[in-house]
Amino acid sequence: MIERHKHLLIPLPQKTVFSRLLSYAKPHWKWLVIAFLLLIGGTSAQILGPIIIKVFIDDYLTPRIFDLQPLLFLGVTYIMLYILAAVMNYAQLLSFQKIALKIIQQLRIDVFSKVERLGMSFFDQFPTGGLVSRITNDTEQVKELYVSVMAVFIQNIVFLIGIFVAMFALNVQLALFCLIILPMILVIMQLYRHFSSKYYAEMSEKLSQLNARLNESIQGMTIIQVFRQERRMNRDFQKTNQEHHEAWFKSIKLDGLLLRPAVDFISIMALVLVLSFFGITSLNSPVEIGVLYAFVNYLDRFFEPVNQMMQRLSIFQQAMISAGRVFRLMDHDEIAPIKEGESEPKIGNGEIEFKDVTFSYDGKQNVLKNITFTVKEGETLALVGHTGSGKSSIINLLMRFYKIKQGDILLDGVNIKEYEDQELREKMGLVLQDPFLFVGDIKHNIRLFDKRISDNDIVEAAKFVHAHPFINRLPKGYETPVGERGSTFSSGQRQLLSFARTMAKNPKILILDEATANVDTETETEIQAALEKMRRGRTTIAIAHRLSTIKDADQILVLHQGEIVERGTHQELLQQQGLYHKMYLLQQGAEKLEEITVE
Amino acid sequence: MRVFKDLMWYFKLEKWNYGGGILVLALVSLLSLFPPYIVGVIVDHIDNGTLTEGILFRLMFILFILAIVVYVLRYIWRILIFGPAIRLARLLRNELFEHFSKMSQSFFQKRRTGDLMAHSTNDIRAVEQTAGVGVLTLIDSITMGGFVIITMALTISWELTLIALIPMPFMALAVNKYGTMLHKRFSKAQGAFSSLNDKVQESMSGIRVTKTFGYEEEEVASFKKESDHVVEKNVQVAKVDALFDPTISIIVGFSFFLSIVFGARYVVLDELTIGQLTSFTVYLGLLIWPMLAFGWLFNIVERGRASYDRVSNLLKVEQDIVDKKNAITVVPEGDLQFQINEFTYKEGEDATLKDIYFHLHRGETLGIAGRTGSGKTTLIKSLLRDFDIKNGNVLFAGRPLDDYTIDALRSSIGYVPQDHFLFSATIADNIAFAKPDASYSEIIEAAKLAAIHEDISRFDEGYETIVGERGVTLSGGQKQRISIARAILANPEVLILDDSLSAVDAKTEEQILQSLRRIRRGKTTLITAHRLSAIKHADLIIVLDQGEIMERGDHQALMGQKGWYKQMYEHQQLESLVERGGMSS
Repeated sequence: MIERHKHLLIPLPQKTVFSRLLSYAKPHWKWLVIAFLLLIGGTSAQILGPIIIKVFIDDYLTPRIFDLQPLLFLGVTYIMLYILAAVMNYAQLLSFQKIALKIIQQLRIDVFSKVERLGMSFFDQFPTGGLVSRITNDTEQVKELYVSVMAVFIQNIVFLIGIFVAMFALNVQLALFCLIILPMILVIMQLYRHFSSKYYAEMSEKLSQLNARLNESIQGMTIIQVFRQERRMNRDFQKTNQEHHEAWFKSIKLDGLLLRPAVDFISIMALVLVLSFFGITSLNSPVEIGVLYAFVNYLDRFFEPVNQMMQRLSIFQQAMISAGRVFRLMDHDEIAPIKEGESEPKIGNGEIEFKDVTFSYDGKQNVLKNITFTVKEGETLALVGHTGSGKSSIINLLMRFYKIKQGDILLDGVNIKEYEDQELREKMGLVLQDPFLFVGDIKHNIRLFDKRISDNDIVEAAKFVHAHPFINRLPKGYETPVGERGSTFSSGQRQLLSFARTMAKNPKILILDEATANVDTETETEIQAALEKMRRGRTTIAIAHRLSTIKDADQILVLHQGEIVERGTHQELLQQQGLYHKMYLLQQGAEKLEEITVE
Repeated sequence: MRVFKDLMWYFKLEKWNYGGGILVLALVSLLSLFPPYIVGVIVDHIDNGTLTEGILFRLMFILFILAIVVYVLRYIWRILIFGPAIRLARLLRNELFEHFSKMSQSFFQKRRTGDLMAHSTNDIRAVEQTAGVGVLTLIDSITMGGFVIITMALTISWELTLIALIPMPFMALAVNKYGTMLHKRFSKAQGAFSSLNDKVQESMSGIRVTKTFGYEEEEVASFKKESDHVVEKNVQVAKVDALFDPTISIIVGFSFFLSIVFGARYVVLDELTIGQLTSFTVYLGLLIWPMLAFGWLFNIVERGRASYDRVSNLLKVEQDIVDKKNAITVVPEGDLQFQINEFTYKEGEDATLKDIYFHLHRGETLGIAGRTGSGKTTLIKSLLRDFDIKNGNVLFAGRPLDDYTIDALRSSIGYVPQDHFLFSATIADNIAFAKPDASYSEIIEAAKLAAIHEDISRFDEGYETIVGERGVTLSGGQKQRISIARAILANPEVLILDDSLSAVDAKTEEQILQSLRRIRRGKTTLITAHRLSAIKHADLIIVLDQGEIMERGDHQALMGQKGWYKQMYEHQQLESLVERGGMSS
């Protein structure tokens, strides 16, 4: 990881994170309002139940009045209320979940599209694994925040408010007394949050240490066994396991002290409060037993939501950290270079010119030094050189994957900076060294996302690059599914498919990055023939590893450590008896190797 | 419920804790019956106008004491039941780890690391849940449920109890059914999530293609489609998940309704007081949890059983490389004689090694060359007893390898593997891996010999720098050299370098080879290499081809043979010339 990306690992402050998370809910306000209304409806219906029983006890049962009609009415209302509550609550629970899932989807799309827009410089430096986990795992944590924390909190708080409203409606004085419960619960919650965030962090830290150790030991078991460190590793593992166990045990103790048992304690105390109130009142004046019944019933329901909320507190902390990391990535500013200026040039002839280009990835070490060359329309320029000589950097700049700081690159005489991205991507066809195939079928891999390419065009392109025969032999032809990274195809076949992909677009300029890996001999000849056809009539820049393939290039540049050390045609360079000559001999597997071997 | 039988050995082991926990749990259930009873008593007193301050105060005091006692008891049973459960997790984890450390390479080749990790984390977690929450729900639903029902039937009315209980079994049924559905849909949601993960993985790996064609927008659109899928599957989960609360409240509501309607009848008939009816409904409230728990129990136990089976199957795999009876514990020192007639990894496959006969005197260096897949690594690993050779023998100091205990044999061998593996610990810890009590000067000495000291000194924290993701990222060459230092520090009788110089440059390679020659005097060294310069100085060089020795001799002799070795050597000479930009050094 490089310096420029280190800040991405540090989560944002919680306050910022929270308000940004909330802002994600904004577009769903209509649904939120509906869900909220359903919640209030469902909660009210639920809370009215005990009141009906109260009415029954006080107005009918105690005075022994049994008229069929009002009783039937009460009974039916009671059952209807419960069914209504159930329906509304189901709708409400589901709506909140749906909204939460939609929000997370948006968050994921946002971070994904942000990452897609980042420049190649970012991808060349930042480990892929970290990115993937940021886009999926971290957002999954945030999902928990919405689904199991926020939704549950909203629902339970509304429910608690509902209970208090009912209590106030029944008996203001007693309800006021019952308000004492709230600060008690808040204190316990605060205490629990305080300790649990610490204990849970410790526990999850220990767990990840434990898993890391396990994972590492499984992978490095050979080393452990060869160096006979099994016993020590066992001991170390047991130690970490013990530490994890202790942290876990601590949190069990904490849960035991502050979670359910504590809330249950408060619930009994609340019962004492209510009973004492009624008892004392009854000593002086008559009380309604139905009210007492309702209060006891409400208290009974009061504490389950409290328990639920407390259990979610530890998830909250974890999710906020993940959300912080996601937002960091979203804020990262390393966008791919975009068009400068107002004009809208088009690529016509396809003439390429590098003018004194010097380039460095890190601003310290130059990987290209004063590169100057011109490729005329329809000509082929070949780049040769050892790994790290700067060949790929030239392509990176020509494709405008990186911004140039010194020198200019001109296409048809116009600075590359002034072209629209789409124009560049459409007219320049880059064939990559590693022919990456996507999951899908062959058709999709040739067409990619360009809807203008018809099925017919696909077959034409495949025929053009000699891929048609092997595709045709497949049982499902062009619909043959392509697995992960195209592993079911040989490297030669993958190469041909990537040629077809480029040819289907009929680019004006062709950039070839030849595969280093040896292709099976079967397809080798086909590939060579295809390459030759593809180059015809197109301005081509080719990175060649096999010098035999570029014998007919109009111009060959030999690069070494970012500089052009030799240039000319194949014949001219051989005559120079320089680096190119040696490379050529090396590849010929010449018998005369001894003659030129120094040492 | 079979899993409880399978785990009986553990319950017996922790019988005092579990026994005590169950007792306390039952006691708590019993005590929980008091508050509703007291509510009933007070209501009746109020109703009859017989309540006095004294009675009220006494009852409230009892409730208060009860609250404290129950609080303490609840805490105690948690410790008594959850404690052993997480100790079981610790125990199983340790056992698994120890078991892994006894397994040979073939065990790890057959299984993916991810699966082994899943067994050690998720499966153990599920077993822990069974031994903790599973036991709790079983005991709690039986005691609490039983007590409440008995109390309701005995102290209030058994007829009313029966009537009120009618809807309750439906709750257990529903919860169990929902649980199964939820589990199934949840797996599907997990599947959708993992394919989203694959999509992201693919997009990130294929970003160059996407950028080349300018299809960023389209990639985002296809990601959106994939994420729609995730939403859809999760909504399926939510649809079941949201059923729990409404179902429970409807069933409970019916139960209350039935008890009030029929209870009222009994009150009118004077078979019941209003106070009793109030208590009755509170008791009914107490039944919700045991019924719920009973439904959940089946799900927990089901998952626990599957997980426990997987873990115990893993623990049952037998060690395939074991010490022979009467194996000697003497650490071998002496000549190495390879007499391998034939070796195959799997029966029926082509021989990986064939007709390997040579004698290496103590103190000599052996170089092994050959193409990828020619059997170099297998030859070397035969010395480590990664597998046993049945047709043929390798003699160490005149005795077959399996005459020695594995521990004794490996004490005399130091090994630098092809895939340089370092632990995420400090560099010093990595170098001192085989000898954890090594002094700092020993560590530095080994690092100097492996030509890595200067690199390490350049790090801010020097030898205390952490290796790996959380610390510094090392280059392949640096990792190789640290691996070499690790083996050098062990100062073994036999040192094996398995293509361990491939990522260091020619100059450094020469430097390392020189120091090796110096410190390995009198001790045996085996080197395999693609780059022949690494084995040029060896006393004996063998060239392998498809598991057979194709050429043998020292460098001089092989260069005279005009075979593969000579051709390869010259090719590599030229190659290094090109790398240097055509200038000879």
